[in-house]
Amino acid sequence: MSKDTEKAPEQVSKHGLARRGFLKGAGIGAAGASVLDGVNLFAKEVAKSSDAPTVGPGRVPISLHINGKPYRLLIEPSTTLADALRYELGLTGTKVVCDRGSCSACTVMLDKMPVCSCMMLAVDVENRKITTIEGLAQNGELHPVQAAFVEHDALQCGFCTPGMVISCVALLERNPNPTLADVKLATSGNICRCGTYPKVFDATLAAAGAKRA
Amino acid sequence: MNRFAFTNCDTLDQALSALTPGAELKAGGTDVLDRMKERISAPEKLVNIRNIQALRGIDESSTGLRIGPLMTLGEIAEHPAIQKNYTALANAAAHAATPQIRNMGTIGGNLVQRPRCWYFRSADYDCRRKGGETCYAQIGDNEYHAIFHNSICAIVHPSSTAVPLMALGGSLDVASSDGKRTIPLETFFLLPEQNWTRENILRPGEIITAINVPKPASTARSAYQKWAEREGTDWAIADAGVVLDMDGDTCRKAAIVVGAAAPAPLRMHEAEVMLAGKPITEETARAAGKAAMVKASPLTHNAYKIPMFEVAIYRTILLTAGKMGPDPSAVGGRA
Amino acid sequence: MLMKFVDDSKENVPKRSESLIVGIKGDDMHQAQVQIPTEEPPPLPENDRLKAIGKRATRWDGNLKVSGSGKYTADIRLPGMLYAQMVDATVPHAKVVSIDTTEAEKMPGVKAVHVVEHVLGNAQLRDPKQELPSKYPIVRYAGQPVAAVAAVSPQLARAAALKVKVKYAPLPFVVDRDDARKHDAPLVYPGPADQAGTAGGGGGPKNVPQVGNVHGPAEHKVGYIDEGFSDAAEVVEARYITQVQTHSALETHGVVADWKPDVLTVYASTQGTSTVRDELAYVFSLPKNKVRVITEYMGGGFGAKFGAGNFGVVATHLSKKAGAPVWLMLDRQQEHLSVGNRPDSDQSLKIGAKKDGTLSAIQLVSYGTAGCGTGAGCSGPAINMYKCPNVHTQEYDVFINGGPAASFRAPGHPQGCFALEQSIDELAEKLGMDPLDFRDKNDEFEPRRVERRIGRAKFGWDQRRKAGSDPGPVKRGMGVAQAVWYRIIHMDSAAEVRVHQDGSVELMSGVQDIGGGIKTVLAQVVAEEFGLTPKDISIRIGDTQYPSGPPSGGSCTTASITPAARNAAYQAKLAFLRSVAPALNVSSDDLVLQDGHVRSKSDSSKSWTFKRAAAKMRTSEIAARADRVPDYKNVGRRLNYGGVHFIEISVDTEMGHIHVERALAVQDCGRPMNPLHLESQINGGVLQGISYALYENRILDKQKGLMVNPNFDFYKVIGAQETPKIEIHVIENYLGLSSTDAGGIGEPSTMATAAAIANAFYNATGVRMRRTPMTPAAVLETLGKVRSVTA
Repeated sequence: MSKDTEKAPEQVSKHGLARRGFLKGAGIGAAGASVLDGVNLFAKEVAKSSDAPTVGPGRVPISLHINGKPYRLLIEPSTTLADALRYELGLTGTKVVCDRGSCSACTVMLDKMPVCSCMMLAVDVENRKITTIEGLAQNGELHPVQAAFVEHDALQCGFCTPGMVISCVALLERNPNPTLADVKLATSGNICRCGTYPKVFDATLAAAGAKRA
Repeated sequence: MNRFAFTNCDTLDQALSALTPGAELKAGGTDVLDRMKERISAPEKLVNIRNIQALRGIDESSTGLRIGPLMTLGEIAEHPAIQKNYTALANAAAHAATPQIRNMGTIGGNLVQRPRCWYFRSADYDCRRKGGETCYAQIGDNEYHAIFHNSICAIVHPSSTAVPLMALGGSLDVASSDGKRTIPLETFFLLPEQNWTRENILRPGEIITAINVPKPASTARSAYQKWAEREGTDWAIADAGVVLDMDGDTCRKAAIVVGAAAPAPLRMHEAEVMLAGKPITEETARAAGKAAMVKASPLTHNAYKIPMFEVAIYRTILLTAGKMGPDPSAVGGRA
Repeated sequence: MLMKFVDDSKENVPKRSESLIVGIKGDDMHQAQVQIPTEEPPPLPENDRLKAIGKRATRWDGNLKVSGSGKYTADIRLPGMLYAQMVDATVPHAKVVSIDTTEAEKMPGVKAVHVVEHVLGNAQLRDPKQELPSKYPIVRYAGQPVAAVAAVSPQLARAAALKVKVKYAPLPFVVDRDDARKHDAPLVYPGPADQAGTAGGGGGPKNVPQVGNVHGPAEHKVGYIDEGFSDAAEVVEARYITQVQTHSALETHGVVADWKPDVLTVYASTQGTSTVRDELAYVFSLPKNKVRVITEYMGGGFGAKFGAGNFGVVATHLSKKAGAPVWLMLDRQQEHLSVGNRPDSDQSLKIGAKKDGTLSAIQLVSYGTAGCGTGAGCSGPAINMYKCPNVHTQEYDVFINGGPAASFRAPGHPQGCFALEQSIDELAEKLGMDPLDFRDKNDEFEPRRVERRIGRAKFGWDQRRKAGSDPGPVKRGMGVAQAVWYRIIHMDSAAEVRVHQDGSVELMSGVQDIGGGIKTVLAQVVAEEFGLTPKDISIRIGDTQYPSGPPSGGSCTTASITPAARNAAYQAKLAFLRSVAPALNVSSDDLVLQDGHVRSKSDSSKSWTFKRAAAKMRTSEIAARADRVPDYKNVGRRLNYGGVHFIEISVDTEMGHIHVERALAVQDCGRPMNPLHLESQINGGVLQGISYALYENRILDKQKGLMVNPNFDFYKVIGAQETPKIEIHVIENYLGLSSTDAGGIGEPSTMATAAAIANAFYNATGVRMRRTPMTPAAVLETLGKVRSVTA
């Protein structure tokens, strides 16, 4: 992510789509220059002060809070969270597989809730705490669920793994003592074509046990 | 997905004034984004109502339940009062889509989502519901399609929460810049005979502001079950919501609604009549299931749904009456 | 894919005599004297006596995969990289009249456009002159690549692709196998056509008769089939129908192509770095040393990812035109439509046995569609599973306007097993024999005999009741079915092992890890030789700059590459010991490597850590490269793989719902190299088998010729909730064939599952389920509960 900052435009909206400290260059690679004509740096004039601000369809500045770090970027409203992570921010751990919310490979945690980042707009998740697979390890130590996945071989090709891990981490966050049925339910939206589900169950139950111990 | 402008609303008034022609509402976004990705919808503007706090909340009172339309399916499924007193609704919410989608999708959105018919969802088919001439499901691949009211357009209504809500006698509060009205769910949905391009009577510019469910009589019980090809995440091929008002062993009054059978959630009046004033037994429940399917008119590949619904209705009646456990073959039935 | 079978006896190399371990542990395991090439390392003992091989080593790159830091092709980001989007045919059969790219080219941010000149993967007319005159390739399926654009962002590329205007002159089409066989069916090809045997695998028989869309038969005849049936006391005959399944790997096909004047570098999601390189070198007339293909991580292939593919060629053209790296990953719809599938089948199978229970005749006529390709044959099990003196099979491919098939995990075998293993059960019942006893009588393959014995006890087979025993609507039943696969060795398997003066060790090979975990197994092999742990070894694979690696298909990877890896490690070890021995004042013959130490065999007080000893190396690096040598002379074992699956299901006969209660897979794969990874792969085999049996189905709409479910919403893949308890037992089956004696498990672990479910269905209900997928609709129809409706 580019770090070249520019003096921020004044806060343009109390609704928070554009805000102070916006970094103009963020998220625009060298290639971005040719599409800057569509950039909408300021929210459109609003007819009445009570009306909600409208932005886009060109690029709008947003800030995202991912893995405990603030990110500022310029994106069109049509950019999904998954695409913003993968193409704008280089956080490619989150995978896109079906791009329709049917396989859960793109699962991230939004304020601790697992959601499909492919069916969520990046402009819609400002001010939310986003946790991706890159944000689970702390100080170089794998999260207990990640460690258990390795220990139990709960992965093969590994492409469903980030989403699967997030689903299981989110489960343990709200239910530290899950049953097998709970784990199955929590992962019921995550497709694994290699068929690693049995080991995902083992790993998650073991991680829960280790966390309790 | 087309490019679009985005209006983020904090209040209902903002949303109502932003909802201009060419704009579409976005709550959880799981339906509208899918349609946009499939290029069957291309709104110029999305009006984001997801952050309107006034449209959230679950309120249980002595007269019934009032649900903010932005409550997610997950929140409804896990709400203790709904689980206890409106079990059928909690079950329907719990078995819709995936855990992830349940954390995103709202109950309001679930009720007004567009159909999942594969001809409707494909930009390559100019189907009747999209304003074209043909319903491709009539002679096409119609295994998941309607067995009632299917001669004009054979979609099945995709909402699973609509099934118990209709059985429980729910209604919707809606608002527009012209005012407010309340619509019983019974009259909310449209059959193709009434209009084949829309699934409900919501007018342009109207927004659902609350879902109301009257408190069931203390003698009433409800249940919902859904069957699909897969046991976990899948679309229903049959689902049934049943409310029985019991007088001892005798059924005073029954409400039976099925989903995945018709372009709208459908009340099975023939079956309801059969149960009224009768004890709930294996025989009466089976007879009700059979009666419900007498008028079915299956297409080339979905006649299998008739025996399924007969059994789905019978088993859900017995479950409601406490004379049979949850069906292991139903979605989530083995949990 | 080219597989070379090399008979060791033809190799004129110096030999020495060795005693090798041969046979099945717990059964007939014994030592056998074999002549092996002099250069070969000493034979390995059984797994119990090894430190690293055969142990449950965790995935070598597991930490990177669980933390999202392994970079798959889809994750590659290069400076100045462009994103490409394919433009696909929206009709199933047409002549392309014109392609107008001007509007797309004018869009800001669009950097290159390419129009496809030659389509890979489709069958080719034997006489190219029969092709319709056309400037552009004839469209033979909806989803066939037509053009592509490259732009500065994926969103822009998608938008620009929509601006490419393609005009079609539609041709009559057919997308249904039965319809395509009719004499007046629209012709997919105007004359006989064969699918070229490309690096993409698949392909069917060449130069067989073709009438209309029906290509074949390819025949196999042994003995006299008519005599076989006249000898039979009992005969069963039935028709079986299976559906088209798509591979549905989670990472779609795709590449990042970076055309530079000195070298073309391609990151590819592939099962064969070398086959992608070879195909690109051929298409672009480049020498192989100017093409480099890299696959560090890849998200599943299952047989469909070998060649460069149309997308790979297109991306390379775009990169060349734009002077920038180009990322081109297919989307989910394209993945379903255009890069392969498992053909369907319509099999008529007739088998007979004598009164004593010996098979006397097997006759199979199969029709299947591989779309606009070939390769729908499914007679492998009928020919290879059982001993039978009279066998006649005829395989027909039926062309339709659908995407070409590709090899898919045990090509032809799940279909073939589905029919054969049900017929075997049916015949056993007619003869009054238990299905396992009947198989014991007719199956000469030792591992399966042991597997049946183990399974019978472990599964509680003898508690199996007679068909249709449950009185209620939910009926339980047990079924069994078995697998046959073949030992395939790819000789283009080489590895280099390096030891550095700091004590670090690394292995390099072009072989790629497609999810089976070959990185771990290679680390185990090197660790075993060096007395280190697998984590001590760096594994660098998936790059054609390294010694050539085999394409990963047909369960050949482990069997092919591990002997080369061991031999390289062994040679490097000898060189290492020679190098450090003088400094340690010990003869190199007296040194051993164990437990992270270099030790003197004769004087236990002389011991150095590996790191300390390595510091004494005379050069900074010692390296050895080894190639795969041919398999040793077979001491008389049958060189197949088996596998027996036991399944218990319950059938809700009122709702048509099948629930798999439990599964037991008893498998063999030569020497098991890593039980942990084997279990994972076998779980996957069983679950893909259940998914195929119960849920998956590619549906092509006859009205427009389009796939109506090109997604994961209505193309239904098994999920967590449908996953039963799976018990796994892997036997140790030593064959004495190579320095590791490893085999493979991918194919043998998936093919019997659907057949076992079908046999369990019969045991539950007393009714035969002869079609897949066994959806509620199919079950209720089979049970006679549905009134049929005609249009």
